[in-house]
Amino acid sequence: MAALQESLGIGVDGNGRRARRGPRRPGGVRGAFGILFAPVTLLIVLFLAPFLIMVQMSVVRFPPRTDSGYTLTHYVDVLTNPLNPGIAWTTFTIASTAMIVMLLVALPLAYFMVFKAGKWELFLLLGLVLADELAPVVKVYAWQVILGRNGIVNWLIPGPPVEWLLYSSFAVILTLSTTYITYTTIPIYAAMKAIEPATFEAATDLGAGWWPQARKILIPLAAPGIFVAMILVYIPMLTDFVTSDIVGGTGSYMMGQRVRDLILGEGNWGTGSALNFLLLAMSVLLSLAAYRLARLNRIES
Amino acid sequence: MSAPTQDAGGRAGEILVEGVTKRFGEVTAVDDISITIPGGEFFSMLGPSGCGKTTTLRMIAGFEAPDAGRIVLQGNDVTHVPPAKRNVNMVFQAYGLFPHMTVGENVAFGPKIKKWSRQDTRERVAEAIRTVRLDGFEDRRPGQLSGGQQQRVALARALVNRPAALLLDEPLGALDLKLRKEMQLELKDLQQRTGTTFVYVTHDQEEAMTMSDRIAVMNGGVVEQLATPRELYQRPASAFVAGFIGTSNLIELRVDRLDAGLLAMEVGQGQRILAIAPGNAGSGHTAVGAGGGPRTGETVTITVRPEWIKLATGEVGDRTCHVGGTVIDVVYLGSVTQLIVVLPTGERLTVHRLNDEVGAEDPRPGQQVMLHWAAEHSYVVGSETGAIEPAGATSS
Repeated sequence: MAALQESLGIGVDGNGRRARRGPRRPGGVRGAFGILFAPVTLLIVLFLAPFLIMVQMSVVRFPPRTDSGYTLTHYVDVLTNPLNPGIAWTTFTIASTAMIVMLLVALPLAYFMVFKAGKWELFLLLGLVLADELAPVVKVYAWQVILGRNGIVNWLIPGPPVEWLLYSSFAVILTLSTTYITYTTIPIYAAMKAIEPATFEAATDLGAGWWPQARKILIPLAAPGIFVAMILVYIPMLTDFVTSDIVGGTGSYMMGQRVRDLILGEGNWGTGSALNFLLLAMSVLLSLAAYRLARLNRIES
Repeated sequence: MSAPTQDAGGRAGEILVEGVTKRFGEVTAVDDISITIPGGEFFSMLGPSGCGKTTTLRMIAGFEAPDAGRIVLQGNDVTHVPPAKRNVNMVFQAYGLFPHMTVGENVAFGPKIKKWSRQDTRERVAEAIRTVRLDGFEDRRPGQLSGGQQQRVALARALVNRPAALLLDEPLGALDLKLRKEMQLELKDLQQRTGTTFVYVTHDQEEAMTMSDRIAVMNGGVVEQLATPRELYQRPASAFVAGFIGTSNLIELRVDRLDAGLLAMEVGQGQRILAIAPGNAGSGHTAVGAGGGPRTGETVTITVRPEWIKLATGEVGDRTCHVGGTVIDVVYLGSVTQLIVVLPTGERLTVHRLNDEVGAEDPRPGQQVMLHWAAEHSYVVGSETGAIEPAGATSS
């Protein structure tokens, strides 16, 4: 906390000094530095430093003792542990299914908001933002109430309670999908906002029905937004552990939980850090791949 | 689907708009319009924004359904046929090009949707691109083209389908003046080369005059007059048309005398303004209103073009308007000099004096001048007993 206050203090100080110096050419190098100083400092202190500590923990022999010599055994552990491929596969399938579900909802929703909603557009947008403003843990617990053995859904449907609704991969996918729907929809919405409505009328005029229009025009033109949504959403889902903890079951044990259990449960800093680093590296690779694909689809101007 | 131009029994490209009405909530955008557009015509709908021209075009295209009346295309009633199933294509003001596709892919979009053979598609796409003179641009994307080139892509993309009619919704609206003038001539040329019916919507009277075979001047959801550019200019059927097409003088005229088919207003000292009485114009450009034409003592509105008014001292014939006034403003416009002259009755007339002689002197403000023009050049465009019915609204 002291570090945070210090970094903020420096930022404010810098601003104050500049203001006293009178008018300043906007966009100057010093101006950019002044504006970015506080956030960059924050980023370094809160993100880069812990990251470097984690990398260090993953390569020292007996973490957290940094003087115990360096080794790669933790990485070997991660890669050779017979449990990990299964967990990785579960994580991948759950995150991917949730991603697909969200895209299937977000694409029509964004299209509707941009081209059909009219005066309701802003209302829907605010609704999406508000849905995201709720504390994530509260949302997850809400699903527990809805999906539980004595929950709302089982109360509504007749017959014996359906067991697989809660503490299952289904529950995790459903909960993840609702948690991240805002971050999936907004970038796609933004990309679609740039599409000239006459484009669709022209396609209609040329004889294209809704499916050719969606496949040949809407999705290619919304692609940059789709990729941004995937980067924003897929990576947090890969590392999520709260959702699976609360509504997941034994069959939905995910990588995020594994890291948490290794470090906080077993106190195994080395293997936990190594696994975490590998997850991060994979995320970066995924982002780069998505970025590349998005560039391929980018409209040249 | 591979033969887009079916036999239409001599009605190829013909469009009938019959008693079509379109309301948007409380607003009647198009009010019982009937238009016949023969095949191969360059037809324009001209009017200010909100006059119903674009709505009419969109109803022909199928993007809007009329509340009443029908649209007949090449003899087939298409009133309730969706846009894709009508043999017409539209060119939009915003172009609506597919920005992620090349020029070639844009043009090939229609043929691919219609599943023409690969061979057919390739040939026709190449032909369409040649027609709009975009050879060599096939692999560019719309974003790499200028506005004029983008508009040509839109034209090629529509023309490749060999539509019975091409519908153009202010297609040059986004271009600068110079390019617009070039494209106007090019569009006219394109229309003549392809023989396709063009239905063109614009609010720019000069643009409509430049290109069209016939023009429907629209206002408030109705057709004020439907005629050739020449007729519209020389024989405007209403004050609105007179004012919308070119510059025009509108004069309130109290009928003092009615003889030999001429309405006369005496201004005094042998000065008078004459106008052809409605129904006596020879070509029947105006039909007589319900009251059977203006009577003595009634006030009518007449119009006369600025260039038809002469500053002259010559002989005053029986059929010559002859009125004095004071010059209050002189503006040199190059080919003409524009004078504003105030008549003793308080009317202001705009007069265009052709500058066809080097060194000719223009009158100065404050100077008294005599204005002359032939009675044939004043047309009645409105009267107290009711608006003069435009005869051209339903064309033959």
